[in-house]
Amino acid sequence: MYNVYNRVIFANTKKAGTITLEKIKITDGITLNIINTDKFKTNYLSFNFVTPLSREKVSYYALIPQVLMRGTKSYNDLASIKNKLDDLYAASVEGRVYRRGEYQICGITASWLMDKYAIDGTNITDGTLDVLEEIIFTPFLENGVFSNSYVESEKKNLIDDIRAIINNKNGYAIRRCQEEMCKDEAFGICEYGEEAVVESITSDELYRLYNELLETARVEIFYVGSGDMDKLCEKISKMFVDRERRYSEFKGAEVRKEVLQTKEVLEKCATMQGKLSLGFRTGTVLGEDDYNAFPVFVEMYGNSPVSKLFMNVREKLSLCYYCRAIPEGIKGVMVVTSGIEVSKKQEAQDEILAQLECVRNGEFTEDELILAKKSLKNAYDELNDSPASVESWYLTRRLAGVDDETETVARRFMDVTREDVIRVAKKIKLDTVYFLEGTMTGEVEDDDE
Amino acid sequence: MSERIIKTNEFLGESYTKISHESGLDIYVFPKKLTTTFAVFGTKYGSIDNKFRLKGEKEYIEVPNGIAHFLEHKLFDNENGPDTFSRYAEVGANANAFTSFDKTAYLFSCTENFRESLEILLDFVTKPYFTDKTVQKEQGIIGQEIRMGEDSPGRVLFFNLMKALYEKHSVQISIAGTVESIAEIDADLLYKCYNTFYNLNNMVLCVCGDVDIDEVVSVANSVLKKSPECEIERYFDEEPGNVSKEKITAKMQVAKPLFDIGLKDVDIPSEPCMRLKKAAGMAVLNEVMFSKSSSIFNDLYNEGLISGNFDYCYTISSSFAFNEISGESSDPEKVYGRVREYIKEMQAKGIDEKSFERCKKVIFADFIKSFDSTEEIACEMMSYIFEGCDLFDYAEVIKDLELDYVNLLLKEMFDDSFFAISTVCPL
Repeated sequence: MYNVYNRVIFANTKKAGTITLEKIKITDGITLNIINTDKFKTNYLSFNFVTPLSREKVSYYALIPQVLMRGTKSYNDLASIKNKLDDLYAASVEGRVYRRGEYQICGITASWLMDKYAIDGTNITDGTLDVLEEIIFTPFLENGVFSNSYVESEKKNLIDDIRAIINNKNGYAIRRCQEEMCKDEAFGICEYGEEAVVESITSDELYRLYNELLETARVEIFYVGSGDMDKLCEKISKMFVDRERRYSEFKGAEVRKEVLQTKEVLEKCATMQGKLSLGFRTGTVLGEDDYNAFPVFVEMYGNSPVSKLFMNVREKLSLCYYCRAIPEGIKGVMVVTSGIEVSKKQEAQDEILAQLECVRNGEFTEDELILAKKSLKNAYDELNDSPASVESWYLTRRLAGVDDETETVARRFMDVTREDVIRVAKKIKLDTVYFLEGTMTGEVEDDDE
Repeated sequence: MSERIIKTNEFLGESYTKISHESGLDIYVFPKKLTTTFAVFGTKYGSIDNKFRLKGEKEYIEVPNGIAHFLEHKLFDNENGPDTFSRYAEVGANANAFTSFDKTAYLFSCTENFRESLEILLDFVTKPYFTDKTVQKEQGIIGQEIRMGEDSPGRVLFFNLMKALYEKHSVQISIAGTVESIAEIDADLLYKCYNTFYNLNNMVLCVCGDVDIDEVVSVANSVLKKSPECEIERYFDEEPGNVSKEKITAKMQVAKPLFDIGLKDVDIPSEPCMRLKKAAGMAVLNEVMFSKSSSIFNDLYNEGLISGNFDYCYTISSSFAFNEISGESSDPEKVYGRVREYIKEMQAKGIDEKSFERCKKVIFADFIKSFDSTEEIACEMMSYIFEGCDLFDYAEVIKDLELDYVNLLLKEMFDDSFFAISTVCPL
């Protein structure tokens, strides 16, 4: 069977050998991170505009990439951009918004084929860089600001995206747990913004904030690929040369390590399954010495098919299909997530907590510890084969103010002792129990017409 | 001695070796200088194969829906010693498996201990161990996997489209089955399916990474025992030409209606290379007709009738084929009407040379890009082999495509009686 998706999927691209990352300071707060490799048939470049998550600006910044993608000075609409990219051998340029710790990151990513695959001699690299530059720096304007019709149309799309978060129940239950846990912290802010604020955005104000973003954001640029690096560096420097910058460093996440009282939140939903999310304060954040042991703990507790959660909640008690721990290293929080029968909520919760207790009490074998380390090592080595994963890993470390390489970090895991793991496990505190209670029992309703 | 054939594609700068192993297994090794080595061991057996017999047997046996997927889960159990995941964990490999309509595949990725990992893969897949007790244990786990699928709007949308398009064909049955259907599964049935489909003559092994071909063969020599010759006969009820129902709507907790417009393709070439040609032709046609540079996308987008989540996909296998256009819209009925009108206009006009050439380039470039991942290469290779084709053929097929052929597809494929729409609407 062939599934002919005509979309460009980039997430799996891979690379061999050691990753060495070259950091080049372009100007205040702007860094070009280069991974020079010819292992791939494609090149990857991303612009990441990093700002502190704030209720005031989050909705604006979330909207900007979408509006930028609508048209540029030379390519006025979606179709013109797409036609141009098609000519560049299906180069892909996309806008995105995501979150790390209490940072909102918005930006544009591009990937394109190496020039040698252009049968007709097209310079794919230069062509794509030009389009990318136009999209970011010379958007399509009307009366000196973003086109009103583009802004209005993208506002609707963004509101739809915010509302559509509930479509994916797994993700929704994790997000809601984090929101409830961090109600009065920036981490509780949705990176796509708030519906009411999006509604109120005008083209003028959005354009003003776009310029502010270019002036004040920390910009992390990642390139993974081959070619003339000096030329690339020069080209990127030029993009910022005439731009005013008012950059001042901003602080990372607010870290709370204590929990006064565990919260219980119940929400009902018309689904078959219940989604249980347990939100924890980990007490250990990226950058602290103890953080070496934390990934080892997570792997052993709930991130592999031989972890305590998988072996017990799934394999021994047959309660679920998935049960895993998802950590956020910058903020120092972790969510354990699982999909279960509604009537089994307490049983699942008890077992998840009992397994955490086991780790705290040192009830794990030397073998479990070694397997966790091996699994982490393999994951770190595999990272090098995917530009997007490499970028994501380095960006997170940079944002946490940690300047290290995958290899050194992977090596450090090997020295983690069982006492280290017990110590980090003991710091973990349950903050919020969130349950999305499915209210349906029978078959999914079909209205046949 | 196993026979070896080397295939090369100069333009891509890639090649692979096919080994017809004496056990009956075809092994494909695709060398790639990346850190991650990926191996996939698959059988041509999926959720649609629920009625079958071996050549020479009198009666067809009909098995419960979802059994191929259930079998995939249960194969991870071993009679003695640790379960398969623990064995992989010992050597630091990352293991998984999946079941689709027409295949079941077991895979791992690793950055070291390749030989040990491959030994585990070939060993556990060729040594089944099912008991009624372990079957029962799995029913709870898979039951939750099924519930998760029933709560997934995208999944419900897709399988309702299959139900709309197909009256008889088992492609309309959810891959994992239902909580009720898997309750009928027992150890004997699993053995029956296993013994039929997990014959090495019905399987392939694809390896991609920085590996030595001789090492792969040496592991196969030491683990695999020769399978007897086999010929499997799959039974599919005769499927009428028209769609089963034109519209199916489900109500779920979603923000905005989702739609999946389907086109049933009843003209399935029996020759594998002709199916490949059709797949390439439809990929180009879809790109011309529905990509972000198409007039229909831009019109609907500018009118606020669709969002950027607008996808199109053509699927073809030896017993079913269909085309999909999917997205989200506040008014799916209107989108459905507009898409059909647009197709009629395009049928009258035909597609032009320039768009055709541009979109051919896009499909070709997407193909080249897929050679950057050992996982993608190994899995794609397996799909092509099960379809009776060669991975590198696709490049040639795209290059050789002609405008007339694609215009002919446009004219003949989109008959009124072949359309259906599935929607998932908010409660």
